[in-house]
Amino acid sequence: MSPETKTQAALEVLDLTVAFGPSASPHIVLSGISFQLGKNEILGIVGETGAGKSVLAQALLGLLPGDGRITQGSVTIAGKPIAAMSEGERRRLRGGTISLIGTNAKALLDPVERVGKQISRVLRIHRPCSRGQAWKETIDLLDKVGIVDPERRARAYPHELSGGMAQRIIIAMALITHPAIILADDATLGLDATVQVQVLDLLVERARQLGVSVVLITHDLGIIAHYCDRVAVMRDGKIEELQPVEHFLAQPQTAYSTSLLGAARAKPTRGDRLAAPVASAETGMDKDRILVVDNLCKTFDIGGGQPPVIAVDRVSFSLERGETLALVGESGSGKTTIGQCLLRLLPPNSGVIRFDGQDIATMEEPKLRPLRRRMQMVFQEPYVALNPRWRVSDLIAEPLDLLDRVPQTERRRRVDELLEMVQLPQHLARAYPHELTAGEQKRIGIARALATKPDFVVFDEPTTALDIRVRAQIIDLIRALQQDMGLSALFITHDLNSVRSLAHNVIVLNRGRIVELGLTEEIFEAPKDPYTRTLLAAELPIEWSDTRRSGAGRSPVVALGA
Amino acid sequence: MIEATKGGGAARAALPSLRGLRAIWHLIPRPLRIILARVALIPMQLFGVLLVTFVLVRLLPGDPALLLLGNMATPDAIAALRQRLGLDQSVWIQFMHYLINVLHGDLGTSIFTSHPVTQDLLERAPATLELITYAMILTVVLGVGLAILSVAGRRYGFDRLTRLYGLAAGALPDFWVGLLLIFFFFHIAGWAPAPFGRLDTYLTPPNTITGFYTIDSLLTGNWADLGSAISRLALPVITISLVNAGAMMKMTQTVFANVYDSSFVQHARACGMPESRIVAMSLKNSMPPIITTAGFLFGFLLGAAVIVETIFSWGGLGQYAVQAVINSDYPALQGFVMVAAIVVLLVYLVVDVLYELVDPRIRI
Repeated sequence: MSPETKTQAALEVLDLTVAFGPSASPHIVLSGISFQLGKNEILGIVGETGAGKSVLAQALLGLLPGDGRITQGSVTIAGKPIAAMSEGERRRLRGGTISLIGTNAKALLDPVERVGKQISRVLRIHRPCSRGQAWKETIDLLDKVGIVDPERRARAYPHELSGGMAQRIIIAMALITHPAIILADDATLGLDATVQVQVLDLLVERARQLGVSVVLITHDLGIIAHYCDRVAVMRDGKIEELQPVEHFLAQPQTAYSTSLLGAARAKPTRGDRLAAPVASAETGMDKDRILVVDNLCKTFDIGGGQPPVIAVDRVSFSLERGETLALVGESGSGKTTIGQCLLRLLPPNSGVIRFDGQDIATMEEPKLRPLRRRMQMVFQEPYVALNPRWRVSDLIAEPLDLLDRVPQTERRRRVDELLEMVQLPQHLARAYPHELTAGEQKRIGIARALATKPDFVVFDEPTTALDIRVRAQIIDLIRALQQDMGLSALFITHDLNSVRSLAHNVIVLNRGRIVELGLTEEIFEAPKDPYTRTLLAAELPIEWSDTRRSGAGRSPVVALGA
Repeated sequence: MIEATKGGGAARAALPSLRGLRAIWHLIPRPLRIILARVALIPMQLFGVLLVTFVLVRLLPGDPALLLLGNMATPDAIAALRQRLGLDQSVWIQFMHYLINVLHGDLGTSIFTSHPVTQDLLERAPATLELITYAMILTVVLGVGLAILSVAGRRYGFDRLTRLYGLAAGALPDFWVGLLLIFFFFHIAGWAPAPFGRLDTYLTPPNTITGFYTIDSLLTGNWADLGSAISRLALPVITISLVNAGAMMKMTQTVFANVYDSSFVQHARACGMPESRIVAMSLKNSMPPIITTAGFLFGFLLGAAVIVETIFSWGGLGQYAVQAVINSDYPALQGFVMVAAIVVLLVYLVVDVLYELVDPRIRI
């Protein structure tokens, strides 16, 4: 794992600087990037949004968008600098010697072509062979990347595949030409955790077997800890530190790395406060229960004479005042649908929802309206949920204006108060949503939900798609709100790490049904249901240990000899 | 505080017979399924077309008998003609008669030309169809070609040139373009033949097989006719195409540019795909809106080509329809509306079938 000598390196980047914009006042996006990628090494590149990770991948492929250009330094692949190559050579390099696996596989496939054809097409432009031969190799490879019934799947169109399956197709597309290097740019972003580990296990295992070097670009330190040999930490277009993962996890060299690692760890559980609400099986009119859900069902008609999809199937639970209940499960498990039914944003098909003693499942809208101020939702995608033409102050004040007539001074005071509550500086009140970062937008979403001082809040995926440190900040914020306001909350997420830090109790959902429920600690310590166990097994904690995924542990030196 | 019901899924009612039918339906290959599903609708649509043309005629003011006989007719003569035309019977009986007549190919007699309308239409429809078919082909080739050039060649500044053309094509009226072309290519340069009709006057038309002079002369090996037909088609076809390709180009440009910059095309580039394949792939993904626009344009040109037909004395459907309107020739007009509706119906049938063929995401 020591730095390889020149002859060994599959890829060598030396003092790479990339700029965009006019040459008079260029916008430097990457500066002085240097690293070597050894044969059969897996190098992780980690960094937050805007660190320049994706631009680096594009520069390595010689595919910088727009007017992006390399102003300094060099990229050398297999001993030849790409700057010295002709356009034709560079084209043969892409996909032939260095393959890309990108984010959101379904968008990377040609929607009107059979996936098998797309793979064999890549093979045939790099290694001329007959159609039949290419098709045969494609089927063989699909089998090797874990696709069941490859003959039939190869004839499928992209829209007929799941996200995980599409990602395997992309991996096959990258492997078909036997490249020397694979660039995986946030390849598993947006996939369910269980699918993510399957895909990464597969990728790393195949790479180790075939002796391929991999650059794994990610913002997830768990992936780095489990799969990589060395890690480069990127920030503002520079590599902050570059060292073996083991050392990085034990002794990060920079304060930035330390803060990243700190943010990725689960917060210590909240001890005595957690113990307060204890699960009790009896129903009844307990005054302490803010919400009682009984036999909730929701189906969606999909038309075409097909049977309706059962999104929520006879779900019952209850929530005490001051309790935070987490709803976890993979995509399609019905988490968000339940949240929307509880607030009557969707009408439930049947079942009882008692909010503070009143059944709201079938309540008429005029009677429900006054209750709405007491139950709020923080939406999943804050940017989409904010009117882009309004300033932050108006966005936050909107729920106040809907309530009663508030004098201007009082209104301004409340906006300031709410901004402070979500820990945002007051000058942001004049900003528009597009001027805010993702984390700030989430906070505005939270402030809007809290404006009416609700008794019950549904948080829909509040930590998804956020950078490590921002996610930790949002979790801290929600913890503080729980403490200060005694909020009763339903916390919808697939990020188990945040459940540990936030929820007293947890419900595990699978295909619209509750498979397990109880105290968070108990369920996470001793899951009873096999589905819960699968979910927990797919987590990638950031500790370097024996728990590293199989096939990832070999050092490149050993693999070279093998 | 938490209680839950763990239970089986809700009962799913199944309709076995329906499901069985669907299974058989899905055994048929997809392209055949698409065509079958669309063709099955044709009889119903045709019935609708006939009903509408019939009602349209009934909505026209005045008594056809009175109109046919003129102002000097005696009441007896009018009554006799009404009886002969079946106008004294109920509307439904009349509709039945009309249906039966149409099914026998009888569309009545034109008041103005005194020929059976069917015969008139059979003479003129091929002229118009030949003209707009070639115009459509050229329009699509020109519009789509320029759009591709402007997007794929934008770093060479092609997009500026095509923007200029788009602007000009949107502003120029077709009669003016037609007259300009005649002026330059016939009058000044003398390259094009005189703008009168589909064939040089001293030639006899080829034997009718399809009604398209170009195809018929090719099939019968009549080379003189072929050359003449092509040279006479050139100017009107170019006129129609120049005017309409602008819209086609702008529409294709938007769609094509979106696809050309999309993630899967970027990924294809990262896989080392050559530029020609990238363009082909992007074009395939841009097909649905292009097909729709082409189909719409075809239906539109059926009537809109009349000005160009007039300028080039084409003797087509459009001219016939205008004549019928001017002369209150209701049987002729009714016949034209019916033929136009049927052609549009068939074009949309082709459009729908093509649309579903190029996009595998549409479920049949």
